[in-house]
Amino acid sequence: MDASLLLIQPAAPEPIYRQIVGQLRRMIASGQLAPGDLLPSVRDVAGQHAINPMTVSRAYSLLESEGALERLRGKGMAVAATHRRIQPEDKRMQLIDLHLRELARQARELELPSEPILRRLGELLEDQE
Amino acid sequence: MENSAIVVGDAGAAPICVRRLSKRYDARQVLNDVSLSIEPGSVLGLIGRNGAGKSTLIRTMLGLIEPDIGTAEIFGERALAMSDRAKERLAYVPQQPDALAWMKVGTMLDYVARFYPTWDADFARNMLDRWQLPRDALLGKLSPGERQRIDLVRALAIRPQLLVLDEPAAALDPAARRELLAEIAVRAADAGTTVLFSTHIVSDLERVASRIVFLHQGRVLLDAPADEIKERFARLIVPKDAVTSDKLAVELHRRKLSDGSAALVIERQPGADWPEIAYVPGARLEILGLEDLFVEVAQ
Repeated sequence: MDASLLLIQPAAPEPIYRQIVGQLRRMIASGQLAPGDLLPSVRDVAGQHAINPMTVSRAYSLLESEGALERLRGKGMAVAATHRRIQPEDKRMQLIDLHLRELARQARELELPSEPILRRLGELLEDQE
Repeated sequence: MENSAIVVGDAGAAPICVRRLSKRYDARQVLNDVSLSIEPGSVLGLIGRNGAGKSTLIRTMLGLIEPDIGTAEIFGERALAMSDRAKERLAYVPQQPDALAWMKVGTMLDYVARFYPTWDADFARNMLDRWQLPRDALLGKLSPGERQRIDLVRALAIRPQLLVLDEPAAALDPAARRELLAEIAVRAADAGTTVLFSTHIVSDLERVASRIVFLHQGRVLLDAPADEIKERFARLIVPKDAVTSDKLAVELHRRKLSDGSAALVIERQPGADWPEIAYVPGARLEILGLEDLFVEVAQ
């Protein structure tokens, strides 16, 4: 995986290490990253995005402790071999739940009914195909 | 107790350690009881408004200014009486470099190189090209921006263990700024370089700093690991009827709003819940980016 594939937004409310954790989790869950795939080194990610190396290490360590990544001797971090290629639907739903909650919160703030939101979301999901 | 403040881990003395610094210029208290210890390998971003005391703090840390009260140490040595060995490990770029103005760029770099066993001549050459800086120009004839870029090249080519930059972003366009930040990140990763830089450009800090210190009116207002700031601090809008007259223990800053409600900046411990006041009816909690947090507490 190339370090430039990560999207880092320093000004977002989410801390940078969580942004990295979230993106890698989603890439692993969807199969974009397969078991055994190597991750870019901490130095490469830090240099590419001009972010602190400890932030990158922290993200990798978190994913390692979850079992999503494993440290290969002499090679660096890789997607864990034991990790199933694609997680079951309920696991993947968990990963997007936070964003759905945020969407729901904003919809309530705008006092929008659910119907048009669901319709629009349906359109967007279809679009991707 | 005394020793534990100086020695950090097994890496020896802290690159920078200051205790209870105060400095007054005439009637103005520029530094007010500032204590900080910077661990090896950390990238500390010092932020504050103009006049908050950032440059004075940096210059006092490095022994260029004598404090009225308090002590400053570099690698465990008194900053005011640093040995050559400590100086060799340190590079500092002031906000407005003006030394050796009568020298040509190339001559100055060759001259400085002789004092530093770690001097990286290839790096200096590459950076001069990349930042399009003329070797033959007199330092005194350069624009302030060019002058500071030359000084950044000088400081980085030393490959110091401790790099201190006072407002380095001022002289750089966005692309060059990103290059500098990336260089800092890579140095921290490869060599465990300790970096202290001051800035008022918040997004630079959010990227590369491992620790952020807000200096406000000469005091340290906030000092926290960069990764934790967004999870530890938030703005809480408290409705009028729930506003307390006393300052809360978790409250860092308070601003009264025109409708009688109050905007508080509150703090929680890492991993803990927000304090109870965040859950009173009508209260609204907002996670702040660093810039908003800075603006909120610095008014």
